[in-house]
Amino acid sequence: MTPAKINCAEKATIPSQVGSSSTKLVNPKTKAITCRGVKMVFTSGVERFQALKGIYLEVQKGDIHLLMGPSGSGKTTLMSILAGILTPTAGRVYLLGEEITSMSRSKLARFRAQNIGFIFQGFNLFPALTAAENVEVALNIKGIWGRSARKQAQLLLEQVGLGDKAMSLPRDLSGGEKQRVAIARALSGNPKLIMADEPTAALDSQKGHAVIELLRFLAKEKGCTVLMVTHDPRIKDVADRVVYIEDGLLHLESKE
Amino acid sequence: MASIARKNLFEDIPRFLVAQAGIMFAVSLVTIQTGIFDGFTRTSTTLINSSQADIWVSSDTMVHLGLTLPIPVSQLSQTQQVAGVERAEGLIFKTPLWRDSGGNIMSVVLIGFDPQGQLFTPTNITQGSMKALSEPYTIIVDQTDLHTLNLQQTGDVGEIASLPARLVGLTKGNHSIIANPFVFTSLESANAYGNSGLTSNLDCKLQKGSDGIKCTTTYSKSAPTDITTTAPTSVKPAPPVPKHLTGNDLITYILVRAKPSEDLQTLKHQIEAALPSTRAYTQAEMIEKTQTYWQQRTGIGFILGLGAAVGVIVGIVIVSQILYSSVSSHLKEFGTLKAMGASDWVIYGVIWEQALWMAVLGYLPSMVLCLGLAAWTSATQGILILITPTTAIAVFGLTVLMCVGSSIFAIQRVIRVDPAIVFKA
Ligand SMILES: Nc1ncnc2c1ncn2[C@@H]1O[C@H](COP(=O)(O)OP(=O)(O)O)[C@@H](O)[C@H]1O
Ligand SMILES: [Mg+2]
Repeated sequence: MTPAKINCAEKATIPSQVGSSSTKLVNPKTKAITCRGVKMVFTSGVERFQALKGIYLEVQKGDIHLLMGPSGSGKTTLMSILAGILTPTAGRVYLLGEEITSMSRSKLARFRAQNIGFIFQGFNLFPALTAAENVEVALNIKGIWGRSARKQAQLLLEQVGLGDKAMSLPRDLSGGEKQRVAIARALSGNPKLIMADEPTAALDSQKGHAVIELLRFLAKEKGCTVLMVTHDPRIKDVADRVVYIEDGLLHLESKE
Repeated sequence: MASIARKNLFEDIPRFLVAQAGIMFAVSLVTIQTGIFDGFTRTSTTLINSSQADIWVSSDTMVHLGLTLPIPVSQLSQTQQVAGVERAEGLIFKTPLWRDSGGNIMSVVLIGFDPQGQLFTPTNITQGSMKALSEPYTIIVDQTDLHTLNLQQTGDVGEIASLPARLVGLTKGNHSIIANPFVFTSLESANAYGNSGLTSNLDCKLQKGSDGIKCTTTYSKSAPTDITTTAPTSVKPAPPVPKHLTGNDLITYILVRAKPSEDLQTLKHQIEAALPSTRAYTQAEMIEKTQTYWQQRTGIGFILGLGAAVGVIVGIVIVSQILYSSVSSHLKEFGTLKAMGASDWVIYGVIWEQALWMAVLGYLPSMVLCLGLAAWTSATQGILILITPTTAIAVFGLTVLMCVGSSIFAIQRVIRVDPAIVFKA
């Protein structure tokens, strides 16, 4: 596992580039996420709607990268494409140096299992499973089974401070606790990328902040790259980098 | 996969119970229909199985066990002369009228055999003994037919072809849903019942000095040769003692036991050659001929198969519907599994596991139910529902196939799920 500090140092020397032409981009192999000319058009019947109008984005390894913008601006659409869940109408996406936009469906599923941890706004926990089982399922998908999976699940829950809630069902957990289970699940199997879509939207601001602090701490400790979609301006201070999207285009980047 | 399938299964108990009811309906219907078919097939040859003969000799006109022309008893002694025959006994098969103590009549299947012989024994004699049949005009019937024949216990009397028939024993399991009640008796009594040929004549007159009508039933022999009992006024003459069968009397079958290590096919041909207008069958051929006749004649296989198919169709519809609705209410979870990188097989696995649990949990209680029902019908109705281990295993296979096959719509639903669903709040 690469110590987080090295990644942070690396990041400081190479500025992320937004909206620049592809010729100016550095080799995608050194980046966690590279996105070139991604367009997304939704068609339903005769109606066409262009949600993304040509996105260029790079995310450094080890960064915590925020994607902000008003509702309906295309944040979720972009994240789905960057996570390999949605196929863009045009453009290319590289994750950890591999072009995911040309992968087969099954190869892409394996790639996601090995490399990406997900955190969702609605938590997306399995309501019938205990906290520990929820984490175990993710480990199962990553090929870790049985006692080893049970031990790792317990360990991860302890890391998010829920060691004593391992046997609780989601309905018996508070919102903040549920999102911590989701973080434990996202971190299972040590993914290199964490994709989080509005992880604090369902939490009050104090709990939301605590959850994000925890995520930031664990991500840095484990050397994960985090791409986080949010609306919440108070999260900006945990980020290494922030980009804004509006009407399907990245507008400006800032680190305030 | 950490028990998602099982937990989804039990999460909605009413839905689960509806699914189980559907599966149980299908399993029970298929099992019972198959059981009735097997039971029917088995009981159509109970009488053949009551025989220890190697070969059955009949008239060459024989269609099945119960439908053939008689053969003269002289052929019995001819059979005994054939080399290779160790023992031969006669068997009489007739369908005379039974008249109970209340005067109701019905057809019965009368089986006359040699109670001292070795080649025919009614199975499962539960009361009385075969030896009692050596007495004239005695019979043994199946306990499930007691009610039909209006008999209560041994010692009760009815009439067959106007001759008395006294019950001296009971059997269990000699009952067929397609045939009239079986009545076992000795060869001599059967011969007497068959040849009595008595006709009854009802004569009613207005009584002088009274409003009533007086009726007398008179019995007469139709055969004019028998002078001794032709008196037209005689009411219920004491029945003559049944005589031994002689050359001109008619029997229905000759049961043959072959000498040890005799080739049955060869012996059959030798017997057929020695006795004109006869055919010989091995026990197995006899069973086969009779079973085939009944299966084709009644079309029972088709009818029961149709019922079983309805059961399976209903099962498929219900299981498909339940699995589909269960999967639909967990679409986001399946989407999450997909997003996390679960392969299609993992997702099919969750659905199939759920289908398998449904199959097992539907099958087990149904089979217990069917076995209970089979025991009950056989004890109280005398109807054999035969659930063999083969049937039980085959029905389990069918149940699994039905449930797993029914998951196809649920799987279609999951395959088409919009992956972006996972990011919808
Ligand atoms: N599957 C879809 N079909 C049609 N339009 C869609 C679809 N998904 C998103 N959109 C549209 O794309 C735009 C961006 O959506 P989204 O990425 O969800 O925005 P955000 O996450 O920033 O709120 C919205 O106008 C939305 O209506
Ligand atoms: Mg969104």
